Amino acid sequence: MQTGYILLATIALPLFVAMLLVAVPSKRADLVRYISIATGFALFGLSAYAFFAYQLATADTYQFELQWTWIENVGFLGKDGITLHLGIDGIGAPMVLLTGIVTFAATLISAKIDYRNKDYFILLFLLVAGVFGVFTSLDLFFWFFFYELAVLPMYLLIGVWGSSSTFATFARTKEYSAVKLTMVLVGASVLIFVGIFAVFVEAGIGTFDLPQLYEVEYDENFQKVVFPLFLIGCGVLAGLWPFHTWSPDGHVAAPTAVSMLHAGVLMKLGAFGIIRLGMQLMPEGAEFWMPMLMTLGVINVVYGAISAMAQTDFKYMVGYSSMSHMGYVLMGLATMNAVGVNGAVLQMFSHGVMTALMFAMIGVLYDQAHTREISAFGGLVKRMPHFVAFFSIAGLASLGLPGLSGFVAEFNIFLGTFQTYPALGALGILGAAITAVYILRMMAQAFFGEENEKWAGLKDMSRYEYAGGALLLAFIVLMGVFPSPFVDRIAETVLNIPGVS
Amino acid sequence: MNMSDAWVLPLLPAAAFVVLALFGPYLPRKGDWLAILAIGAVFVLTFPIIADFTAALALEGEAFAGVANSIQWMEVPGHLELNFGVHVDGITIVMLVVVSFVALMVQVYSLGYMKGDARYGWYYAVISLFVASMLALVLADNFLLLYFSWELVGLCSYLLIGHYSHLRSAAEASKKAFITTRLGDVGLLIAIILLWRETGTLNIQDIIAAAQAGEVGREILTASVVLLFLGAMGKSAQFPFHVWLPDAMEGPTPVSALIHAATMVVAGVYLVARMLPLFELVAGGMEMVLAIGLMTTFLSATMGLVMTDIKRVIAYSTLNSLGLMFVALGVGSPAAAMLYLFTHAFFKALLFLGAGSVIHATERQDVSGLGGLWSKMPLTAITFGIGAFSMAGLPFLAGFWAKDEILVALLENKIAFAFVLLTLPLTAMYMMRVFVLTFLGEPKEPEAHEHAHEGPLTITVPLVLLAVLTLVTGFVVFDQVGRAMGFPGGIGDVIYLHGPHAFDFNVAVTLGSIALVATGLGAGWYAWVIRPELPASIMARLQPVHALFANEYYLNNVYQAIIDHVILAGARVVAWFDRNVVNDTGIDGAAYSTGFAAYVMKFQQTGKLPNYALAMVIGIVALAAVAFFKA
Repeated sequence: MQTGYILLATIALPLFVAMLLVAVPSKRADLVRYISIATGFALFGLSAYAFFAYQLATADTYQFELQWTWIENVGFLGKDGITLHLGIDGIGAPMVLLTGIVTFAATLISAKIDYRNKDYFILLFLLVAGVFGVFTSLDLFFWFFFYELAVLPMYLLIGVWGSSSTFATFARTKEYSAVKLTMVLVGASVLIFVGIFAVFVEAGIGTFDLPQLYEVEYDENFQKVVFPLFLIGCGVLAGLWPFHTWSPDGHVAAPTAVSMLHAGVLMKLGAFGIIRLGMQLMPEGAEFWMPMLMTLGVINVVYGAISAMAQTDFKYMVGYSSMSHMGYVLMGLATMNAVGVNGAVLQMFSHGVMTALMFAMIGVLYDQAHTREISAFGGLVKRMPHFVAFFSIAGLASLGLPGLSGFVAEFNIFLGTFQTYPALGALGILGAAITAVYILRMMAQAFFGEENEKWAGLKDMSRYEYAGGALLLAFIVLMGVFPSPFVDRIAETVLNIPGVS
Repeated sequence: MNMSDAWVLPLLPAAAFVVLALFGPYLPRKGDWLAILAIGAVFVLTFPIIADFTAALALEGEAFAGVANSIQWMEVPGHLELNFGVHVDGITIVMLVVVSFVALMVQVYSLGYMKGDARYGWYYAVISLFVASMLALVLADNFLLLYFSWELVGLCSYLLIGHYSHLRSAAEASKKAFITTRLGDVGLLIAIILLWRETGTLNIQDIIAAAQAGEVGREILTASVVLLFLGAMGKSAQFPFHVWLPDAMEGPTPVSALIHAATMVVAGVYLVARMLPLFELVAGGMEMVLAIGLMTTFLSATMGLVMTDIKRVIAYSTLNSLGLMFVALGVGSPAAAMLYLFTHAFFKALLFLGAGSVIHATERQDVSGLGGLWSKMPLTAITFGIGAFSMAGLPFLAGFWAKDEILVALLENKIAFAFVLLTLPLTAMYMMRVFVLTFLGEPKEPEAHEHAHEGPLTITVPLVLLAVLTLVTGFVVFDQVGRAMGFPGGIGDVIYLHGPHAFDFNVAVTLGSIALVATGLGAGWYAWVIRPELPASIMARLQPVHALFANEYYLNNVYQAIIDHVILAGARVVAWFDRNVVNDTGIDGAAYSTGFAAYVMKFQQTGKLPNYALAMVIGIVALAAVAFFKA
């Protein structure tokens, strides 16, 4: 059964629960916790259903469609002016699944939050509703609305529940990181906002409905001018160099589950926006600007990996690693060929689950040890074998080990990149080797070697953490061993994106 | 069980890995029996495949090109199809026999050797994964599966080198091995993608055919071959990537036997042998392989001479052998290389397992703490001796035949021939040295000697079986033996990939090599048995040379300096740049300048009506002026 109510539910349920939680007395922290985890599970179920019930090889471009008119035939709005139009294609489907997985894992990981956990979960669910909304909206107005809804709760989540860090040479307060993150992202979204109105006016059909806007042929010069608005506007959220610095600082300051959602899902919104708004609306603009994106993507990969190598803090390392891996997504999109774009979408999913797992594991350690200094640890494998196993598998996935999700994605991206830019592709592969260096250094330093007596009291993961980690791990392995369910959905859609050869 | 069913082989140990990794702790005996059952089944199933192979060979003769069978893994319709598939031909059969037999021996041996280990179950799980990956590697019909398993064997090597995870040295060694081989793999992956770009396929046979038909551009082909070789050099620890292999001895000894001697490290040899047609197409391709092989052989022989850790000596002898295999490939004789690989697997595994038996009994692995073990452990001494002298090239042992094949193949190339001859006495000498220092003479540490004893049957039986194979496998060079085993044209026909090739036998070369080996062994006997004070005095007189060898030509120090002062220092510069320039100046700077602009602007907000009125008047005048001049 294919009904748009499934997608509507993924947005409405977190909004409803956010309201429900308002009514729960804040003394009942346990009740808040159970409601939240149950909601996380329900969202996971809904998104998994949407993913697996997605029909291959049908004539419909979008599935689970639903269109409710909000305003039409008023002023400058024509028919279908602004509608709540939901639906997913083969790119949206894995993204919805990813959101469901990471949300469920994040609620499990957040079970240990004690400080004002009611307020925390309310904000978290608002954010999640926004993310589902972006991945499913087919109307520019609502797309933008959900985009902002996904970004803004971050400000409070980091500012209130985050942590400040002090290093020998510099300090980063959580307030600074929260403000920077929000300002940069909102600032970038202004570009998107301008772009949306430019498209609306240029199309001249009085609607924000994306499928209808896709039908319009835009002037080539118009495309060349407007495409960068979407590219940069969305790219900033994807960690595009040199507007990436909000991301490592933001990840570090954020509480565990927020880092997971942020690196795991929110950064994907940016890449998703480049496809949805940029490539699909203005293919000629994309063709013109893609060489620049390819260059920036490679810079992201190599620069991010080199920076990660110099980090001494777990979270900063993973933060820069995230930036580096999002560079692969940008490279894949910039190839504008079927294999590369397919790889980019695979990487969006793969990076989502694996980074979420890494941040979750850092949280396990940090909440007990209250330090994230890599060199402070040693021989953790003795006391925390499961923690080490989970963290290592996420690390191995990120260095592109076959059998785990990262390899499938990166292999496709490299194949795609080499078709047009062999030298840059080679640099990308070198980036994967640098990833191996910092991941393996971190593992050797913190996980193996003599046990540091100071940490003899550390405990392995709690049941909640174990469950959340195992969920993420399962999908890392599933995609690495059996990528067809993902590729079949993605490839079908990618081949229909105009301009992709 | 036909050749096309060979895909079952890697799945058996793979399934064992999954069960052991997930449920190992809950199984009786931590599931070691399951791992052994899986590899035992693989070993048994190899025989019907060989029978099918010989039948096909008898039927089709030289035209037989192998059997392939594949399934789809993922597909971007019309653009990319990735398959997993197996391809069985002569070279695969050789590798299958080596991998399944040595793996079985090592797994049985580990029952005794690893008993009581804190991570016993995990050890068996990883060994199973390794066997599965190694089988997939040699069976792969396409580069995707090859690279896939290539990386997985690297992972298993990493996990097993670091098995004693409480040791800092093990953690560092495993990291070093993974990163070093990974650098080579960058080359391999680029080569694979370049070849795919040119030919549109990842299938190895198709790529070779396309290259031979001239469908691959010359520059691309050259680049691919060089990059492919980088991958092989990393995995097979060729100079200058060889630094990881001696350190890899941090792993449990059975692992050294299986992974770092008999199977994984020869994957590079296997890859080059398989892709040799491409190397032949590229000008200088073969010379590159030859040069690297010679360099590795010679350098490792000198270093082996001065090492005092019994495992490190054997590790250097492995480098020595690997170099020799590349030398054979470099002169276009994959048959000689594969024969050496085949025999080497048995006698090198035997050496390591023998060393393991010594370590197990004495808990020492530096020769300065050993000596005189002959009386306590005669079986180990004899079997280790067979392995050591086979490595040295003593007549009629396996290593002798294989080494002579390589020498005969080298006859055309005088320089390479001379180089290899030069290393022969060196090799013989240090093998004699390690044997003498371990088993003969007075015990240097009586306490260790006191407790020494032969291990349980699980340790001694594999030793004996491998020793027997070391005694007999060399004879397969004779076509008569091959025919008796059911290979119509002798073993040479099976191993050689592109048409028939008979093993050659050159009496002059054989006598010459025997003389050199005898010289080396004699010199070793003289120096360490007859005049044991001699080595020390030579060492003292040639102090700089000894230091050079013992410090492995300072290559590790150079690498470490590059890592510390170039790579990591460079990374810190980039990180500093990111924090101070991109963020604090770029991003924060934009924020500050906005704040500054607001600060300046706020003074316009005076709250005095005349100021506002003045501004309005100026505005109106300006607008009027514009309107006036426009009109």
